[in-house]
Amino acid sequence: MINLHSVSYVRLGTRDIERSEMFATKYLGLELAERTRRATYFKSDHREHTLCYFEGDPTDQTVAFEVGSAEDLAIAATELERCGHDVHLGTTAEAESRKVRDFIAFDDPSGNRIELVVGPAHGGRRYHGTRDAGVTGFSHIGLCSTDPVRDEVFWTRICNPRVSDRIGEAPLLRINEVHHSIAIFASNKPGIQHINHQVESSDDIMRSWRFLQERQVPIVFGPGRHPSSSAKFLYFEGPDGMVFEFSSGVRLIADELLYRERQLAAEAKGFCQWGANPDIPEFRDK
Amino acid sequence: MIAIERLRYVRLGTRDLATSVNFARQVLGLELVSQTDRIAYFRSDHRDPSLTFTTDAQGHALALELRDIESLDAASKVLIEAGYVVERGTAEQCSERKVKAFIAINNQSGPQIELVIRPLTSGWRYFPSRDAGVTELAAVALRSSRPEIDLRLWTKLFDGTISDRVGDAAYIGFDEVHHRVAVHPAEQPGILAVEFAVESLDQLMQNWYFLGNSQVKIAHGPGRRPTSGQLFVTFHGPDDVLYSFVSEGSRIADRHTHRSRQFVKGPLSFCCWGSESQIVEFG
Repeated sequence: MINLHSVSYVRLGTRDIERSEMFATKYLGLELAERTRRATYFKSDHREHTLCYFEGDPTDQTVAFEVGSAEDLAIAATELERCGHDVHLGTTAEAESRKVRDFIAFDDPSGNRIELVVGPAHGGRRYHGTRDAGVTGFSHIGLCSTDPVRDEVFWTRICNPRVSDRIGEAPLLRINEVHHSIAIFASNKPGIQHINHQVESSDDIMRSWRFLQERQVPIVFGPGRHPSSSAKFLYFEGPDGMVFEFSSGVRLIADELLYRERQLAAEAKGFCQWGANPDIPEFRDK
Repeated sequence: MIAIERLRYVRLGTRDLATSVNFARQVLGLELVSQTDRIAYFRSDHRDPSLTFTTDAQGHALALELRDIESLDAASKVLIEAGYVVERGTAEQCSERKVKAFIAINNQSGPQIELVIRPLTSGWRYFPSRDAGVTELAAVALRSSRPEIDLRLWTKLFDGTISDRVGDAAYIGFDEVHHRVAVHPAEQPGILAVEFAVESLDQLMQNWYFLGNSQVKIAHGPGRRPTSGQLFVTFHGPDDVLYSFVSEGSRIADRHTHRSRQFVKGPLSFCCWGSESQIVEFG
């Protein structure tokens, strides 16, 4: 069993790094942590970085999860290879560019690039956003899946995530007390489906809604409230069509023994209890 | 000083009773108590009614409850001394308003104000037409052509106090809720908005989506008022009256120690989420 502790960072290729930088700072409100020749790093919380845009193909997308130790990493590599996944052992230079001590990379069954990392760098300096968006941190990702049922088996049998709820066939998976850190949605191709940052309150959701609307950022879903996690949310579109989510008030699952996952409808009402209609292909009625 | 017990009802003259009744049931989701060809009574809570529509086009009025007949007689005296024309309601008028007795203050700068005693309360649970989550008639926003005279009425003759001001507009309260009445300077006197409280943010936003899907024109919001901290969405009803759903909001435990704050005149003082307002008085 591969024990994921938390979701660590996202790496996104982009053809227009300047525009991506502008979006990440001015609209998401993140703090620019470091700019290198080919990549820009952003802080959203106590960690040195949680988002990296690099010059490259926009379909080149990676999400990283933290594991406990170098030993756990080695065990994970063996386990993944045993299950037929090609495992890439991160080089020192690659680890440095990810601000981690060590890492491995592999593809999940749908072909999503996943990294498992040890010792992601924490910053001593506290997070100070570019704008007052109320961001409290990078929190979860949605992954596209060519077969959510198969991928649920991979994520919950080989790794430690547990199903918190299902929307149709889409499982929302937790790896700690937060309702979900990974959500898997049916699609015809792999890729990161959305990137979530938590904000302090529903006021922050609503202020960002107006702020982004005024700047013609496409709002693709919300404002609304998920009946699954009870989080208030806003989804909007960033560079290269990537969907970003701000949410607040996510449910915490304290009691693993008593909690039972629920089945929600794979239609608008399963995604929003206020009445918002998603303009996101993976959230539409199947 | 005239002690106001509570906000009691809003009475609106309508050009088209059927349209108003439909709006109150389908959009506001209120409970229709009874209806004739010239009057319709609605409940939003225990008050029977809290909203009345009449075919009398001059019928806009706002009613406040006083404690007893002695208070009503005393209030009448105070108001006459202050120069207001006060009329005692006839038995027929009382019966139409479902009150034991009332006086009507003929107010030149705002809508008619009725001071009532022993208004009817329903012992039956409020059963709304739709699940809008309405909990009570919360407040009334008034258009005033002479705000300084109206503020004197509300705070010197009545025992209301100013909770906050935005420009020359004032929020007035007489219980622990931030305000029950808002007085907005305007060219024409009248009722600007009738506001119903809903349970929470969930119901407020569900209503906003419902209004959008029902093609009801939104005038302002959804948003949050920096003054009262209330969540609101304001929308157009029949006969040029606005309606709001409101929720949350700060409380004022002790009105005597509360200091009213002055907010700058402008849209951001009416919404701190940044929603645009179609309401001239908030410009």
